[in-house]
Amino acid sequence: MKLQARYNYVNLVTTIIVLLITGIIYYQAISWILTRQKDKDLKVEEDEIYEYVALNHHLPQTFESNDQQITFTDAKPGSVKREFINTDYYKRWDRDKGFKRRNHRSEGEYESGRGLVTSVTVGDKYYKILIVESKVETEDLIRLIFIITIGVILLLLLVLLATNRFILNRLWKPFYNIMKELRLFNIADAREIPKLETDIDEFEELNTVVLDMASKAKHDYKDLKIFTENASHELMTPIAVINSKLDTLIQTENFSERQSKLLNDLYSAVSRLNRLNQSLLLLVKIENRLLHERQQINLRELTEEMVMQFEEIFQDKGLKVTCALNDKQIYASPYLTEVLLSNLISNAIRHNYKAGEVVISLTGESLVVQNTANMAELNEEKIFARFHKSSGSEGSGLGLTISKQICENFGFSLKYSFEGMYHTFTVGF
Amino acid sequence: MKILIIEDEEGLRESIEEYFSEDGNICETAANYPAALSKISVYRYDCILLDITLPGGSGMDILKNLKANNHPDGVLILSAKNSLDDRLDGLNLGADDYLVKPFHLSELKARVSAIIRRKTFNGSNMLLFNELTIDLLAKEVKVGQSPVKLTRKEYALLLYFIANKGKVVSKNAIAEHLWGDGIDMANNFDFIYSHIKNLRKKLMEAGCNDYIQAAYGMGYKFTEQ
Repeated sequence: MKLQARYNYVNLVTTIIVLLITGIIYYQAISWILTRQKDKDLKVEEDEIYEYVALNHHLPQTFESNDQQITFTDAKPGSVKREFINTDYYKRWDRDKGFKRRNHRSEGEYESGRGLVTSVTVGDKYYKILIVESKVETEDLIRLIFIITIGVILLLLLVLLATNRFILNRLWKPFYNIMKELRLFNIADAREIPKLETDIDEFEELNTVVLDMASKAKHDYKDLKIFTENASHELMTPIAVINSKLDTLIQTENFSERQSKLLNDLYSAVSRLNRLNQSLLLLVKIENRLLHERQQINLRELTEEMVMQFEEIFQDKGLKVTCALNDKQIYASPYLTEVLLSNLISNAIRHNYKAGEVVISLTGESLVVQNTANMAELNEEKIFARFHKSSGSEGSGLGLTISKQICENFGFSLKYSFEGMYHTFTVGF
Repeated sequence: MKILIIEDEEGLRESIEEYFSEDGNICETAANYPAALSKISVYRYDCILLDITLPGGSGMDILKNLKANNHPDGVLILSAKNSLDDRLDGLNLGADDYLVKPFHLSELKARVSAIIRRKTFNGSNMLLFNELTIDLLAKEVKVGQSPVKLTRKEYALLLYFIANKGKVVSKNAIAEHLWGDGIDMANNFDFIYSHIKNLRKKLMEAGCNDYIQAAYGMGYKFTEQ
């Protein structure tokens, strides 16, 4: 849930609850005030009756007005308790409301009313008095107030939502900017996260923390790279010594078959160690963008050369090589392009089976290297990871990582797919 | 030929010295910058193997010193840094070649031979070995008077063998020399065998002696015996 949505939700619910509660209180208060008003009116009426009786010693003429009815009934003396009641007010249709009379068979309708039950003694006779006043106007008033209140609630909500949206969007803008920068952040990139202009302390703090973190991460990463580079360089010397000692050792002659087998194994191990080391160094260099010399390269010619270079190895494995190469010029580092081609082609050879196939095609859009292999479809995410190797692979586990890095460096894409029986690597220009 | 090995790593220095000395060459060594500097200011060498990172100074300064004094010594830079900039710097300063550590001694020998050939024969591009005549410019091989048609790789192989004559050259070294770094995908080096077989056959058909011997399944040896 977005912060804004959650905020609006909470806001909405609390506003509605608060407004409803105030609405109820409001209603009750108005209703109470108006009822008291009515009760006063009723008391005035009662007083008038008392005055009339005291003056004239008989009951006043009962008449009916639009909003008041007075009835006198005989009652046992002392049986009437004076009280205000909520009751019905039977309203007869007026002449001027003729249309209503036509629509109704009855002569009137009940409306809610407020009544006062009281008593009066005229001479020796005891009467119960019921004064009823219509509450219609009161209720109309309350209804009006209610409608206005609802209207105000809705308006308020609308305004709140709109301002919230506006204010939140504006207020949170620095936050989203930081997020965007974080998303763009690349530890290997030289690009720094820019300092944010904001008056809000929290965001400024967040920005500072993010900047610190980024620079620390970059610093650590740089340290790590320097370490890798130094370690690789330092390794070169002992490898060189081992290599040269092996070269010297085989000059001493008279080896048994067992010894020469051991020496061969040593040679392969040393050369693997060397290649691994070279690959690590190369990777560091590509990531550091140290190999930036670029020029126009005829990729078709380079690919042809590469295939020629591998000819004996293709033959040795009995691989059928199919090339469909069109002219394609790229602007890239010749060295890295060679490494890329060499990696892709040697993978196609290494993971192939005897008498398998390698298909290389070059078009204006892409370079595709396909090969048959004993393996099922590979996991695209894993194969580009460092040191990911298929079982039994003699490679360094860095070849595809390097290839991917080179492609990224050139702004190309490198994708894997499994088509039919072919493992397919596509470099998209 | 006379060679100066400027290399601070003792193991490597000794191996190189041993590998080059057997051939009747004169090898001198220097383990640090001052020693190297005093050697080059007094003696001249056919080829100087120059390590870049030296105790007491940089190999590049030695190279500069040589060039400033117009000394004609061939220089082969040995560097642990496989960096294009370093390579270009070295070659721009007048080094003849640049070899990245680690290397096979046979590769080093082949490179040194090439440098010395260029220096000493000065325009003459013929390499002679008994009945073999190799025109380095035209890349043509003759046994006596009869030409031998070799593929590019067979030709490179022959030169490599001649540069390392009398030495056992490992299959790894041959493979890396002929196929470069891409060689690592080969599970074994059996295909080298077919190249060597072809080269041998072509040479012998032209009337050449069989100089190429297999050495204990580890490599080959180009030898007169």
